[in-house]
Amino acid sequence: MEILIQQLFNGLTIGSVYSLVALGLTLVYGILHIPNFAHGALYMMGGYVTLTMMTSQGMHYWLAIAVSAIVVGLLAVLMERLVFHPLRHAPPIHDKIAAIGILLFLEALAQFIWGAEYQTMASPYGQIINVAGVTLTMQRLLIIIAAVVVMIFLYVFLKKTYTGATIIAMSQNREGANLVGINTNRVAMLTFLISGALAAIACSIAAPINLVFPGMGHLVITKAFVIIILGGMGSIPGAIAGGYILGFTESLGATYISNDYKDLIAFVLLVLILTIRPKGLFARGGH
Amino acid sequence: MRKGKFQFAAVMLMAFMLLLAACSGGGTKEPASGGETKGQDTGSGDAESVNIGYTGPLSGPAAFYGERTLNGIKMAAEEVNEAGGFEIDGKKYKLNIVSLDDKYLPNEAGSNAKRLLQEHKTPIVFTPHSGGVFAMQVFNQQDNFLIGAYTSEPKITESGNELTVRIPPRYDGYLAPFTKYSMERFGKKIAFLPTASQYGKDWAEKLEPYWEEQGGEIVYNTSIDFTKDTDFFTIITNALKEKPDVLFIGGASEPTAKVAKQARELGFEGGFIIMDQAKLDEMKRVTGTYELLEGSIGVMPLVDSDEAAVPDFVKRYNEKYGEDPGSEAGLNYIGMHVFVEAMKAAKSVDDPHKIRDHMQDGLDNLADDKKIYDIPAIGDDGGFEAELVVGAVEEGKIVPIPAK
Repeated sequence: MEILIQQLFNGLTIGSVYSLVALGLTLVYGILHIPNFAHGALYMMGGYVTLTMMTSQGMHYWLAIAVSAIVVGLLAVLMERLVFHPLRHAPPIHDKIAAIGILLFLEALAQFIWGAEYQTMASPYGQIINVAGVTLTMQRLLIIIAAVVVMIFLYVFLKKTYTGATIIAMSQNREGANLVGINTNRVAMLTFLISGALAAIACSIAAPINLVFPGMGHLVITKAFVIIILGGMGSIPGAIAGGYILGFTESLGATYISNDYKDLIAFVLLVLILTIRPKGLFARGGH
Repeated sequence: MRKGKFQFAAVMLMAFMLLLAACSGGGTKEPASGGETKGQDTGSGDAESVNIGYTGPLSGPAAFYGERTLNGIKMAAEEVNEAGGFEIDGKKYKLNIVSLDDKYLPNEAGSNAKRLLQEHKTPIVFTPHSGGVFAMQVFNQQDNFLIGAYTSEPKITESGNELTVRIPPRYDGYLAPFTKYSMERFGKKIAFLPTASQYGKDWAEKLEPYWEEQGGEIVYNTSIDFTKDTDFFTIITNALKEKPDVLFIGGASEPTAKVAKQARELGFEGGFIIMDQAKLDEMKRVTGTYELLEGSIGVMPLVDSDEAAVPDFVKRYNEKYGEDPGSEAGLNYIGMHVFVEAMKAAKSVDDPHKIRDHMQDGLDNLADDKKIYDIPAIGDDGGFEAELVVGAVEEGKIVPIPAK
């Protein structure tokens, strides 16, 4: 029983990180139909910016995360302006190639600036909490809480504000949004800004339990793609649900079936869900 | 207009790619520092340069490892050059290290070695991974070059290749001291959580039968993929469920340290057997203190070694690269120096067979200030027969453990 609760907690922790990453990916996909392979690189940049702010500027952890979210958000906007915007009329394959190009570029850039070695992000929340045989660390609790808070914010922003509504409008119908006077350029930039910020936040809260290194984006990006396919490409609830489903499958699958096959279990689940619902759990349209 | 935009983007992408190539430093030549203009070698005319090849991971996830191994070789070469090079039959020679990036891939290492031979006529090619060594062993005897192999994989010297020199000790030498220490101090139940690399699997396969032969029991056996897992809590929870006394962990030092740390967070109080790829001192940089690693047994960190030449070497390395050297740098450093001494004894800089035949002289002639490891002999198989130095963490300190 203790093991089950512990593993549910572990799944919740990792699922929160997956969800945040998948949210940024699904937002961009929903609006611009770009599979942004460089999203993992933005995640990695987020970790490095937070780390640098903490070590060289001596900033507090939360402040550093805020700075990082802004910096990486702007980086994503820059990416949209310089690369994806000029490619908007090109065949879709060009976006994909460009995204891979950006991924390679950002990874090499990170290695050039910060070096290739593993770095540790020391979080101020190292305390260990033991509740009835279940080990929680403060940082892990924070991951879960921060993810939920960010998701609520995002939801309120998209549903209750005018700017958020323009994003949803554009994801429903780009031409239609344009016709009713929505500035699609601005919405595209805004979407990339949010997507970059989400990646930076996800990485900054997850980095203290692992390490910061140039290849860290790969840990999450393939899984994030699985999640958004599972949840329905472009669907926001799908990304959240998909993230937690994958997190729980990994932790429970590793416990009750086999650790060596835990990735296999996740993919079998994907196949099953897609067989029953070919467009994913939350197929898009109407929101 | 559309076409113009696309062309612009394509040019941008090309520019990115070029910048990437420039940043990653793949294929760049490292000029011999010290240079020929320093004028220390007055009298004997201009020194000729001997190209020494290196292929290793200089970009990608293992780049830091590749850089550290290369640093050791470079530092040795610079010392030789700064001392005015070395002399054979009245002729002066200096070293020039030519390094190529192989991204940790055996096939790339193979083609790099070909390139080094054809373009730079390197008599010796260093590589820090067993895959690269295997790839080069396919043709190194025909193409006539020595492999400076930085890998503790025993198989590379068991194949009878005459031109392979294995620099570190074989890892199977660690099985006995590690097992004995951990069983006596903690108990007979072990859980296996090494890295999911080929090297980790080979290690586990050697340790498994040995541990069981000694009357131990393996209660959990899996591996952790550091390239895929963000969090190790799940896997460690499952391992600890079986109540092991000892955990076998390993891989690159930093993620291995995270595994140890998370195991402690989950309440594990036993010992760790640490695969030789990870180094206790590098792990400490992540955990902050040795207390967390109490009861770990692993390779003795170079900085804690009691060889007389070590403190000075650590100081010089620190001045140059701004960090403490590990055995990656140290063993390659001593390896390079031994090769130079062997060239001197062989009176040849371009005959790999002669150089290989004089490796023992090279070890014997090594100056005392270079002896950061005690390597008395080279075996017939081409492996350095170093004294195994094993260290364990006891009460927050590293103590040497007799390997025999």
